[in-house]
Amino acid sequence: MIYKCKNCGGNTIYEPSRKRMYCPHCESLDSENIVRDNSLAQCGNCGAPITPGQYASAGRCAHCGSYIVYEERIDGVFKPHQILPFRLNKDMAVERLNQEFHKKTFLPAGFLSQKSLEKLQGIYVPFWLYGYQAHYDFEGEGTRVRSWRQGDMEYTETSYYHIIRQMEADFDKVPVDASFMMDDGEMDLMEPYAYQELEEFDPKYMSGFDGEVYNQSAPELEGRAQVKVRDASESLMQGSLSGYNTIRPGRKNLHLQRNDIRYVLMPVWMYLYQYQGKTWRFHVNGQTGKVTGKTPVSGRKVILYGLTTMFSVSAIFYLIGAILGML
Amino acid sequence: MKEYFRYFKWIFIAIAVLAVILGAVKGVQGIAAMKGNHERTNTACKTTRRVFDHADVLTDEEEKSLEELIARREKQTGCDIVLVTLYESLEEYAREIEPDVPYNQFVRVFAEEYYEENNFGYNKPNGDGVILVDNWFREADGKIHTWFCTTGIVKDAYSDADIDRILDDVYLYVEDDPYRAYKTYVNEFYRDMTGKRVLNVNFPGWLPLLAGIIALVIYIPANWKSGSGSKTTTAVTYLEGGVEHFTNKQDIFIRKTVTKRRIESNSGGGSHSGGGSSGGGGGSHGGGGHSR
Repeated sequence: MIYKCKNCGGNTIYEPSRKRMYCPHCESLDSENIVRDNSLAQCGNCGAPITPGQYASAGRCAHCGSYIVYEERIDGVFKPHQILPFRLNKDMAVERLNQEFHKKTFLPAGFLSQKSLEKLQGIYVPFWLYGYQAHYDFEGEGTRVRSWRQGDMEYTETSYYHIIRQMEADFDKVPVDASFMMDDGEMDLMEPYAYQELEEFDPKYMSGFDGEVYNQSAPELEGRAQVKVRDASESLMQGSLSGYNTIRPGRKNLHLQRNDIRYVLMPVWMYLYQYQGKTWRFHVNGQTGKVTGKTPVSGRKVILYGLTTMFSVSAIFYLIGAILGML
Repeated sequence: MKEYFRYFKWIFIAIAVLAVILGAVKGVQGIAAMKGNHERTNTACKTTRRVFDHADVLTDEEEKSLEELIARREKQTGCDIVLVTLYESLEEYAREIEPDVPYNQFVRVFAEEYYEENNFGYNKPNGDGVILVDNWFREADGKIHTWFCTTGIVKDAYSDADIDRILDDVYLYVEDDPYRAYKTYVNEFYRDMTGKRVLNVNFPGWLPLLAGIIALVIYIPANWKSGSGSKTTTAVTYLEGGVEHFTNKQDIFIRKTVTKRRIESNSGGGSHSGGGSSGGGGGSHGGGGHSR
């Protein structure tokens, strides 16, 4: 489907800064009309052939530039339960990247240049959100050690305790990305999202962005969610065991019961920067603005700036020496 | 390129300012030297040079800078200032002139002859002036000799003690940094003759380079940060209500044990140790194994 402006026929898109549909051609607000079209082979606007990849649920016609939402990929089993609309538009994402990286001296000159920013992509990334109830039974033996001096003797008192813990914790909406394109570690770093802005799914939020359907099913990816929940449970349990010098676990039993699975789309800005034959990936959380990514270092700049620093400092010392030597 | 200049703006400005200051200082001193109240009246001098580095312990740059300094100081003091370094035995030469001259005075003979032969002297040939002869060659007595030879008004101005002092100061630096030593000679001479103080600061030649290298070694790693983004979730991020619940939380005391051991104290152990060791020997419990 394509969103078209009632007033001018242009392609309307979701504008995060206004939180409304916007026509960039005539600047109308909320003037969208849905033009239905179920094809995955042809652009519904210009008829040019399109080739959405295996997982794309939204994208842009290479010919006319219209944003298309592929209906069959947001329908049925692919219909997301919820969507977290972009809060940052492209300029804001660029601004965040700038804020994060402008102080890095050795960045190549082309980084964040107008040309390289053409590759900045707003993507609705498929996520599974899992809910768990965790039951954690723990029994063990702990010691507390106290020592004091009396005269020239040192006394050490060791107290032994039987520790019993039964913990219940409800974990809600633990996210795992379901996209092969996105690096798992990078997507984990995008967290957390502010879930209160999750909306009922509406395809209009996808107009103006790219999107994917889940590449893997919820059961396939559940392992990653469980690791997160286990780590968190372990850390909570450890927190309750403070004050002991040593702990010898006897019985440890962590049971997770899944009580919720949701398929949602999360907003991520992705910036791919090509430098010296390598692709450097940067991600900006489309809601919170959190930035991740490692920047390349320009060898040319390191040499130029390094040598300039070296010669400048040498020159300053030389000049000070020469001036003092004249006095 | 624009970014480059903006980045280094302040450091470039600092260099420019220092260069201007250096130029100004040179200019002021040049003017002061020109206005120097002493007019050289000796026209018979055979050379315009004052630095004769036969031992080759100075670089060309250093020689040039010493010549400039001497030219200034001569006008200010009204004395010729000469420096000669040698690396040769003066034994034959000196003994020919003065058959009984001791080793340490070969340089004296040379200095006097050299001064006279070249017609040094600010006011007239063999007039007011000073010559320092530093012979780096070890004579048969195993020593390096240096001579500070005074003529005219300089002779009256310098007591033996003054000469000792100025040579001591030259010897402070001469082995490690001959240039600094000879500069000290010129500047101290100027101070002695005019009563004006001189700063006489001398950075070693390698210092600017070393400072530059240190700056480089600090600068590059300090700017080599490349990563961004760290974990911002915690154990409670997805915890509903933000808290966990303990349906059972008990810490049941079972038993306790107490152990004791003798503290081996280091201080006072000295007087103590004799008795301590014999006393402790009886009680095997004290645990010699524990203490060191």
